[in-house]
Amino acid sequence: MAEAAPPVTEAIAVPAGETDRIGNVILDVRNLRTYFFTYDGVVKALDGVSFNVRRGETVGLVGETGCGKSVTAFSITKLIADPPGRIMDGMVLFKGANLLWGLEREARFKPIPKTNRVKVRRYYRRIRQAQERMTAVRGGGVSMIFQEPQSALNPIFSISDQVGEALLLHRGGEILDAMLKARSGGPAVDAAIREVVKAARANHSETLHAATAKLAEAVGLPSIATQAYYLFRPSWSDPESRVPELRRALRRVRLSGLQKSYLRRERKMLDLTQNLRTVYLQEMRQGKDLASLRRAASRHRSFLKLRTFHFGLWGIRGSVKKPLTQEVFWRTVALLEGVRIANPVQVARGYPHELSGGMLQRVMIAMALSAQPQLLIADEPTTALDVTIQAQILELMRDLKERQGTAIMLITHDLGVIAEVADRVCVMYAGNIVEVAPVRDLYKRPLHPYTQGLLSSIPRMDQPDKKLESIPGSVPNLIYPPTGCRFHPRCPYAMPICKEARPPMTIEGEGHHVACYLFHGPVWKG
Amino acid sequence: MVDRQAPVLITVRNLRKYFPIRGGVFSSHIGDVRAVDGVSFDIHQGETVGLVGESGCGKTTVGRLLLRLIEPSSGHTFYRPPPEVSDRLDALYQSLGTQDLDDQGKAAKLPANAPAILRELDGIANKYSIYRMRGKRLRTLRAKLQIVFQDPFSSLSPRMLVRDIVAEPLQIHHMGTAKQRYQRVAELLQAVGLNPDHLWRFPHEFSGGQRQRIGIARALALRPDFIVLDEPTSALDVSVQAQILNILKRLQVEQNLAYLFISHHLSVVRAISHRVVVMYLGKVVERAPTEVLFERPLHPYTQALLAAIPIPDPTLNRERIILKGDVPSPASPPPGCRFHTRCPAVMPVCSKVEPPLIQFQADHWVACHLYPATSATPQAEPALASGPVGTALPTTAPSAS
Repeated sequence: MAEAAPPVTEAIAVPAGETDRIGNVILDVRNLRTYFFTYDGVVKALDGVSFNVRRGETVGLVGETGCGKSVTAFSITKLIADPPGRIMDGMVLFKGANLLWGLEREARFKPIPKTNRVKVRRYYRRIRQAQERMTAVRGGGVSMIFQEPQSALNPIFSISDQVGEALLLHRGGEILDAMLKARSGGPAVDAAIREVVKAARANHSETLHAATAKLAEAVGLPSIATQAYYLFRPSWSDPESRVPELRRALRRVRLSGLQKSYLRRERKMLDLTQNLRTVYLQEMRQGKDLASLRRAASRHRSFLKLRTFHFGLWGIRGSVKKPLTQEVFWRTVALLEGVRIANPVQVARGYPHELSGGMLQRVMIAMALSAQPQLLIADEPTTALDVTIQAQILELMRDLKERQGTAIMLITHDLGVIAEVADRVCVMYAGNIVEVAPVRDLYKRPLHPYTQGLLSSIPRMDQPDKKLESIPGSVPNLIYPPTGCRFHPRCPYAMPICKEARPPMTIEGEGHHVACYLFHGPVWKG
Repeated sequence: MVDRQAPVLITVRNLRKYFPIRGGVFSSHIGDVRAVDGVSFDIHQGETVGLVGESGCGKTTVGRLLLRLIEPSSGHTFYRPPPEVSDRLDALYQSLGTQDLDDQGKAAKLPANAPAILRELDGIANKYSIYRMRGKRLRTLRAKLQIVFQDPFSSLSPRMLVRDIVAEPLQIHHMGTAKQRYQRVAELLQAVGLNPDHLWRFPHEFSGGQRQRIGIARALALRPDFIVLDEPTSALDVSVQAQILNILKRLQVEQNLAYLFISHHLSVVRAISHRVVVMYLGKVVERAPTEVLFERPLHPYTQALLAAIPIPDPTLNRERIILKGDVPSPASPPPGCRFHTRCPAVMPVCSKVEPPLIQFQADHWVACHLYPATSATPQAEPALASGPVGTALPTTAPSAS
């Protein structure tokens, strides 16, 4: 059974026939509606949001506070706090699989007469199942960076624990396989060690990188490269004297029988959970096979119980787990190196309070990228940071996009950031998307009055003499949203029709859509 | 453009604030966080001075020192020194020779007549320094210096009505009868663009922008002539930020207010300030009129700050200067120039000698080894620097763009 299970990512990959229809679209959000049921009434935070993200593209989502940007991000990953929130309707197609499958069965709604409140009856078993399904995608296929890294990381676990957890969760299989196959000795390894010593003598970091990479190849474990590199990098003592230390480090590759059986067991566990998720995901697409799902789930649970009992009895969990812990630690260091943290070993051993905001945001990015996601949702990643640090983080994101081809959905209220990073922009207002356009087109030719207002309210470095315009009023109360176009109370061009009906999305140019009665292009249909 | 010949309202000289670090068994004094380390600048009546820098560079501490919310370790803030006194101050500080006069042990460097100079300075300080004022004088001064805080969510008491929040300063200073006070509150709310029916509400009923307006109304209640704006728009959306900035500009013209605008956002600073002071790790690295600074930033740090600002124009391809690393800890600042650890133009001298703040042009000061003080132009300037020549220079800046 274990062998037969395809990796999760393949399971939700687009079937051949569907590729043409979906094309390059990796995320397709259709008619998303998210409401919050509060004592004051129903807050209609998202009211039919539709947009898509293509492979390797950066899409910016802009708007004022309270316009539903973050709610959109949380709805896509199903992280809406429930209660009070609830996704009411819509589809989130991630590579063709609907992440919101079975939504309508999760709850029933009954309006309470003479109030604007609604009674929600939630079916928690179904909600739990749906959440479990999401774990396959969340963090794996789609990952997220949050606005405040200080509050997104747990203060009582070290950085390596937290990044390592994500790593183990999403790439555990790969790590375990590599560990079981690795060799600690042999002539190839000895030769590689001599090579590393020679490179360390040369005192040149690139040669050392190359040599350690060769050593890791000989051992068969990529994390050895990082470990050896940081062992030999300080140049004040003789590299020869550090060889025994390297040999000691390599000893973690040679596993005892118990350690091996532990790793095999873990591997089997992963296969099983992966299998389970595959089934869940298939169910997500086809909507069937509940019986096998239940069977697999019960097996999964009994296995968990057995394992806990097994090691709890022997009390040797620490020593048995040690090779895995070390492997994960060094992989974490490599990840931190990838987000350009200068001293990754110390940072990995450290705790969140010891790091600055910019460093923590890098850690968050490393964590989000640990599973090599196809889509990265960045929810105001630089709002809490200084401009100089913001520039560093944006540079890093641009670089990662180029290197890994990750699609990015960037949520921000800073139109300057969008201009620097995004390819396409969606402008949101009060739970609706009002304009979608390629970035250059939007800044050159903003169509919607709201977009125009936003653009003219930014103080410009390049046009210092421009008078600052501002949009009068503020974002409306979403319990009683304005009728028709939600922007009409603040709009300088409001017409009688704006109060009556919501304007349709019309096409006003190549990839440029706008929802406003001022424009009369052909109606855009998703 | 503000009138450069307007009298000086506030003169800051060699201001320092060290926060002690306590530790060890008896929590003894083991070091200092040098939050503000020798800052000097002037604020004229009716002008806005922008104070820029990254978080942790001591901007907010300067703001608090200017209001005497905290006491300085050394240095002075003179309030409304008459022109002849401020000229004398300049002369005295110049004859002391060193930019860096600190209280502990630099006596060796001081000129022979130092004790006399220091005595005279002390005399002036007793009269004009806000740190020497007590009792009634201090209380009247408090009314004249006000602050608007960064976070509009935590700076308003959630248990007080808006009208009581705004009336509180009036009440403390025993201004008018209750009826007159509330009349004034209604006027103030109108001035910042709120309705009279907002009087009877609590802060939680308002959005961030509206709360910031309440904060501004409260600061205006006592008709101050100087307001410290401590990042007043950083918690707000751009559209609301524009509203607040426009209100602040209007009020400044109407009431001849002086602002110290503290921000890390240079484009906002450009939109509102007349002059800019750039700080790094407790030190002033550059000081210039806004147009001059933005047209020709001299210090590498200022250049990097400018380059880091995202410009909302996707067609623009700019040269990027991206600084490496974070701001070092102010508890153990790097030796020499404090910026040398991140500076793209670092030289060997930078890690050894601390660059003094030199006058590059009239009114354009910079602390960097790239700009030696020996060039001919600055020599001619000092005599004129405090005079009206400052007006003549900035007009060279092209404002056509």
